[in-house]
Amino acid sequence: MSGGHDTHSHGLNLTLHVWRQKNAQDTGHFETYSLHGISEHCSFLEMLDQLNEQLLKEGREPVAFDHDCREGICGSCSLVINGRAHGPDRETATCQLHMRRFHDGETIYIEPFRAKAFPVQRDLVCDRSAFDRIIAAGGFVSASTGSPQDANALPVPKEAADLAMDAAQCIGCGACVAACPNAAAMLFVGAKVSHLALLPQGQPERKKRVLAMVEQMDKEGFGNCGNIYECEAACPKGISVENIARMNREYLGASLTARPQGEAKAGF
Amino acid sequence: MLSRFGAFLRSSIGKKSLMAFTGLLLILFLIAHVAGNLSLYADGTGEQFNAYAAKLEALGPLKLAAELGLVILFGAHIALGMRTYLENREARPVRYKDLAPKGNRTLASMTMPVTGIVILVFLVIHIIDFRLADFSKQGLAALVIERLSHPLGAGIYFISMGFLGVHLWHAFQSLVQTLGFRHPAYLPAVKTAGMVLGVLIAALFATFPVLCLMFKGQWPWN
Amino acid sequence: MSTTPTAPKLDSKCPTGPVSERWDKHRFELKLVNPANKRKFHVLVVGTGLAGASAAASLAELGYKVSVLCIHDSPRRAHSIAAQGGINAAKNYPNDGDSVRRLFYDTVKGGDYRARESNVYRLAQVSNSIIDQCVAQGVPFAREYGGLLDNRSFGGAQVSRTFYARGQTGQQLLLGAYQALMRQVGLGKVALYPRREMLDVVTVDGIARGVIARELVTGAVERFAADAVLLCTGGYGNVFFLSTNAKFSNATAIWRAHKRGALFGNPCFTQIHPTCIPVSGSYQSKLTLMSESLRNDGRVWVPKAKGDHRSPDQIPDAERDYYLERIYPSFGNLVPRDIASRRAKEMADAGRGVGDNGMAVYLDFRDAIGRDGAPRIAEKYGNLFQMYERITADDPYKVPMRIYPAVHYTMGGLWVDYNLESTIPGLFVLGEANFSDHGANRLGASALMQGLADGYYVIPATIGSHFAGRKLGAVTTDHEAFKTTEAAVRARLDQLLSIDGKRSSDDFHRELGLVMWNHCGMARSEKGLKTALTKIRALRDEFWHDLRVLGTGEELNRELEKAGRVADFMELAELMVLDAEQRRESCGGHFREESQTEEGEALRDDANYCYVGAWQHTGEGANLSWTMHKEALTFEEVKLTQRSYK
Repeated sequence: MSGGHDTHSHGLNLTLHVWRQKNAQDTGHFETYSLHGISEHCSFLEMLDQLNEQLLKEGREPVAFDHDCREGICGSCSLVINGRAHGPDRETATCQLHMRRFHDGETIYIEPFRAKAFPVQRDLVCDRSAFDRIIAAGGFVSASTGSPQDANALPVPKEAADLAMDAAQCIGCGACVAACPNAAAMLFVGAKVSHLALLPQGQPERKKRVLAMVEQMDKEGFGNCGNIYECEAACPKGISVENIARMNREYLGASLTARPQGEAKAGF
Repeated sequence: MLSRFGAFLRSSIGKKSLMAFTGLLLILFLIAHVAGNLSLYADGTGEQFNAYAAKLEALGPLKLAAELGLVILFGAHIALGMRTYLENREARPVRYKDLAPKGNRTLASMTMPVTGIVILVFLVIHIIDFRLADFSKQGLAALVIERLSHPLGAGIYFISMGFLGVHLWHAFQSLVQTLGFRHPAYLPAVKTAGMVLGVLIAALFATFPVLCLMFKGQWPWN
Repeated sequence: MSTTPTAPKLDSKCPTGPVSERWDKHRFELKLVNPANKRKFHVLVVGTGLAGASAAASLAELGYKVSVLCIHDSPRRAHSIAAQGGINAAKNYPNDGDSVRRLFYDTVKGGDYRARESNVYRLAQVSNSIIDQCVAQGVPFAREYGGLLDNRSFGGAQVSRTFYARGQTGQQLLLGAYQALMRQVGLGKVALYPRREMLDVVTVDGIARGVIARELVTGAVERFAADAVLLCTGGYGNVFFLSTNAKFSNATAIWRAHKRGALFGNPCFTQIHPTCIPVSGSYQSKLTLMSESLRNDGRVWVPKAKGDHRSPDQIPDAERDYYLERIYPSFGNLVPRDIASRRAKEMADAGRGVGDNGMAVYLDFRDAIGRDGAPRIAEKYGNLFQMYERITADDPYKVPMRIYPAVHYTMGGLWVDYNLESTIPGLFVLGEANFSDHGANRLGASALMQGLADGYYVIPATIGSHFAGRKLGAVTTDHEAFKTTEAAVRARLDQLLSIDGKRSSDDFHRELGLVMWNHCGMARSEKGLKTALTKIRALRDEFWHDLRVLGTGEELNRELEKAGRVADFMELAELMVLDAEQRRESCGGHFREESQTEEGEALRDDANYCYVGAWQHTGEGANLSWTMHKEALTFEEVKLTQRSYK
């Protein structure tokens, strides 16, 4: 299963400036590496694999970066490449970015996603568990496993289902935060609020959900939305900022109309 | 009730909503302001303009209430703007080497805090220039023309209006988004209307320093 | 296979009686745990894919105290997320004659009669509840204009029973389970431990009572005690290095459990998916699947002449060989995965493959575009075409896709009984990690169904028998067993760090994968398997002498993580080869060249091989060895026949 295009004489020669940081406490710095003969057919992460192989041979510690599925769906990969989250292409996660997008002799800066809410753990690896805490605060439908009604008992308009799916496609990578000049998480939270607010299954907890999720989002230390929409441009799934507007609407509505908590009397 | 409003105001979306709402009212104020100012062009003597000013003055306590309202609007808008700006800086303690655009940012959307601060400085100058000045002898129109006929005064006002235009370019569609009224069917119209409105307001304001500098109140059409 | 081990109990615990009543009957006979007592039992779930997330959420909802270990930074990243096509259920919404019995039948037949009837029937039974549950959670399945759920057809079935959410069904199902899990985390019912890799199982008095795991950021080795351990850690396709699995997908959890006494069922049963993007160079780190649905409109062909290097548009129809249509006139391009894969390999082996290295065949949409127009094709496959173009820089609207088979799924896994319990009491195995349900070949859209069936419906019912039926003394992490197991884990980590050789674990892994692909992949022969065995043993020896891992164990160290996983793959590979060697028949994804019909089709040998090969680990290190036990498969409902797709 080898052979193919990667002849060293024809490959790309690159200069990489890679962010190196020993751990969360370290301040971090850029280190410069030269790579030669990189095939234009390999992916960006495969280029980093080759860098690591080279570093290992030289007795230097490889660069840590997050990745897993390498087909653009798990949301593990991150990286800000030459100042752009997930690199230059639209609707493309770093793992799907290929080296043919770069030219011979190019200098590439590689940084982690940067936000107070995404602390760097090592090199290019950051902690995005803030997103999980936001989901835990309310990003769900409380439907315990059991015997719910038949799946077709409640028709859902195709348009609503499609819009919900558009929002639900979010892979939770955090590029929206990384690309936002304010490090805001509005697109991520807006997508989940929208997904569930658009479906009949999400109605019972609609107000509670948006209030709880926004509260948690704010606690995590994300910035405020400036409607700059760089999040949408960086999103590997092209999720629309319309979902942010929907969340704003949901939040305003819920803030105005939600009844005080604990008002309803519990009875048995 | 109060705690509820407090919680809303402490939230990111609450802050932005209030900023959007005050911004909307300020846009309405600017429209009224520029419409009133246009009366300066009605004659070569400034009579109409002075009459308009006198009418406002005659409102008495109502005018005071309106001014108080404006102070609150501006104050809230500016305070929220500064607060969110500082929070946003804090949200990214380690900066990127260079956060490059991926396509959606505009000059206006990226510079809202900067244009906002320039407008704030201008606002102070503007209040000292006209609101706090004593124009009982010559009349307001003459004062305006005198200030704006001077190259420095005209320059400050003209440049400030440029910043206002940039600020408003982003403002209208942004507030529609923040208040949750975005709808794909109306989005292009809202965006265009917002930009046209912003530029129009700023441009109309900007005509005053330009024309005053050129004609010193001797309008060629009169 | 030197020592004589004590024969383990291979009691499948399958209920008897009419197959349609077995699950009900079994559930009635299982002991229950009183609601107030559930909170006293602590369940440790390892893995957060469909099986793990759904199990953890469901058990916490029932009141059990649950802890979850997750290898990623978030449970949402488990590889179930990458499943594209859909999930099967016997809803019969399209009114096309589907039923629980038909889904059961198709699955048993699709698995080439190497799965337990009782398990498969239960799977088909709960399939409908899964769809109901997912919809209730807000999974945005595709719908028709009337608002009802849409279905599509998939390989190996003559009915439309596949529910889907665009090409991201796995993602949406996983997010549903993840959200249910995070709800329990928010409620304080589940303790979530992200970035933890399980490195060993701790047993006390022969019962699984916890695990040793490594925190991947600080490198801390941690102990987790529990009353039951659930392994939901997926399959081991990455033993081949190149597969459609994610990079973190590994066998370590199940392999460590295996070495602590859990039997391994049918390790050689591997699914090779026919439509993947071919390997393009030695830098390749993984392979990308192109959905099976493409074969509905694409025509598979290679040039008739050997070594024909003309570009495809220069090859006239008369010089093309649409080999699937030629060999299988009635099923054509829609033959099952195993057959399509084998035929593609045959073409490449005959020197008629295409692409730079001849390791690909064409999947051509020219005729479909000519017939239906490009817009219609874009509507159906647009996202796949885009994905293909992104990776290969070729436009499938203009040039035929190049595809080749790749390792996709492992039907084998830890042996479990009807309760999903392994041969270590208290150790349950769910989803792809276990061997059950799919036999020798898995049908499309059935993996998601099994993962969720295990987690949402089977384990919540069966785990009670463990708690109610056994006396479980209090065990804390201070127990001697935790100390010794932790010491073993630390010793191994130190060993990996201290070799100080020259080669990276990826380098070894790549070489191992190539050996496995060449000799234990799509076609297996006595000779090839023997060669593989020699090569694997030599490579394993070299690994322990020439591995290079830099850094320490007390930090985020990806090389150390990988080294541990590759070390386990090195042993698992040998077991796969041994299993493939002993099974001298062809069935499903397991093709023994010695056992084929005159036309080159897989030839089953029901008289001699109608069993599950359950392997017991019996020797360590230089004496690495196993003993195989047989669980006989009996078929009362389905008649065993030779599959034919001509």
